[in-house]
Amino acid sequence: MDMIDRYLAAVSAQLPQDQREDIVAELRDLILSRFEAREEELGRPLADDEQEEILREIGHPLVVAARYRKGPDSLVGPELFPYWLFAVKAGLLLVLAVQAVGLFIHLVSGPADAGQAISQALHGFIGGGLTLVGLATAVAAGLERYNIRPRWMTHWRVKDRGSFGLSAPAAWGAAAAGKPQAKAVWTPKPAAAHWPGGDHLFSLLVTGVFVLWWVGVLQFPGLMNIELRGADAVVRGAPVWTALHGFILVYALGHMAVDLAGLARPTAVRLRGAGRAALAVAGLWLTWAIFEAGHWFTLQRGDETARIAGDGSMLNLDTLRALGDSGRELSGVADNLSIVAVWVLAMMAVGLVFQLLGGLWRLARG
Amino acid sequence: MAVDPDLFESMRLELRRGSLVLAVLACLRTERYGYTLRQALAADGLEMEESTLYPLLRRLESQGLLDSEWREEEKRRKRFYRLSPAGTAMLAALTDEWRGINASLDKLL
Repeated sequence: MDMIDRYLAAVSAQLPQDQREDIVAELRDLILSRFEAREEELGRPLADDEQEEILREIGHPLVVAARYRKGPDSLVGPELFPYWLFAVKAGLLLVLAVQAVGLFIHLVSGPADAGQAISQALHGFIGGGLTLVGLATAVAAGLERYNIRPRWMTHWRVKDRGSFGLSAPAAWGAAAAGKPQAKAVWTPKPAAAHWPGGDHLFSLLVTGVFVLWWVGVLQFPGLMNIELRGADAVVRGAPVWTALHGFILVYALGHMAVDLAGLARPTAVRLRGAGRAALAVAGLWLTWAIFEAGHWFTLQRGDETARIAGDGSMLNLDTLRALGDSGRELSGVADNLSIVAVWVLAMMAVGLVFQLLGGLWRLARG
Repeated sequence: MAVDPDLFESMRLELRRGSLVLAVLACLRTERYGYTLRQALAADGLEMEESTLYPLLRRLESQGLLDSEWREEEKRRKRFYRLSPAGTAMLAALTDEWRGINASLDKLL
């Protein structure tokens, strides 16, 4: 294999499969044309280092292949970046506040090892922060990839501006000074009993918000409305969500109960292990039931609808490689989201298996 | 006052970037393959990296603005590009826009 073949093989490995042969043939012609022009200029064949110099001028194989890739060039583009930055800043401050409240309560509420408590809070902040940044980036990358713009981005209202202060700690102080009830939100209540703090608080709060939304107490207007190629579209849940509504609610409440148990009795490791293992089993059953339903959402734009649906036959690498090849029309977006949904459910199941093993380990070892 | 060369280079590239599509479309009123297209652009003072030009050609083709075909020339198969009817219409519209921008800038500069 000569230098050109090695270079083209490196580029080819990164290219979309359906265009690989065509692009490589064109690149080969380009490289040979460059070699010939240089040889004509020098009046002799090129040495290896001279050939390599030309290949370097053409570009690193990863960079050359990336230019041919369909879709966005960045995970978070310039249009989404301000929203991503706001979400990350606000989220990180919230995680920090939760950890700080937890640490404070831990330190004042009982015989605690201060060093360990601080270390746990720091660990919680770093773990929560990294998860938050990862999730925000994954969501933004999804929105970029499918050119989806939620309604809250395109139909924002001036009166919503108050929430933007969340990413600036100084605004919290201003809000608290003006509104006595705001102070109450951020002032920890004295603990009645030994309460270890923020290890489980973040999970509890997130699941709590989910439960309130699931039962309809909390509303997020525009959450299920998206803009697709300039037109408004709606995401509708499939019947499986109605059928499993009660089970999902009980599952989320179970999570909250385990988190509460972790807050109230941090030393009861076996009890929490049993709870986590039971939740993992329930979660696996729920994931299987959702997967088996085969239809999860319907995208609707005007009279046009497309199903986000799938089955086990999509759990192969060829399907994953085809991600993004279905075009940007409603049906194409639904096809791509179907692949994502199938793999997300599969990964959830793998995660739950690990949670089950972890819970059983804690149950056995204490 | 001296111009910061790095800042100038970055602004120059930004200024050029938007005009490259117009240049490529204009150049492809005559059928060419990638290498000769790049040479033609360079001869008119518009140097363009291959790693930018070739993907751009594919994008313009996928947008229906270019037609292409593989043909043998000089004992090698080459992919020849030319403006499609949609590309011709787009070139005319972009040319009008370009001239409008130029006229506005000329008044300002």
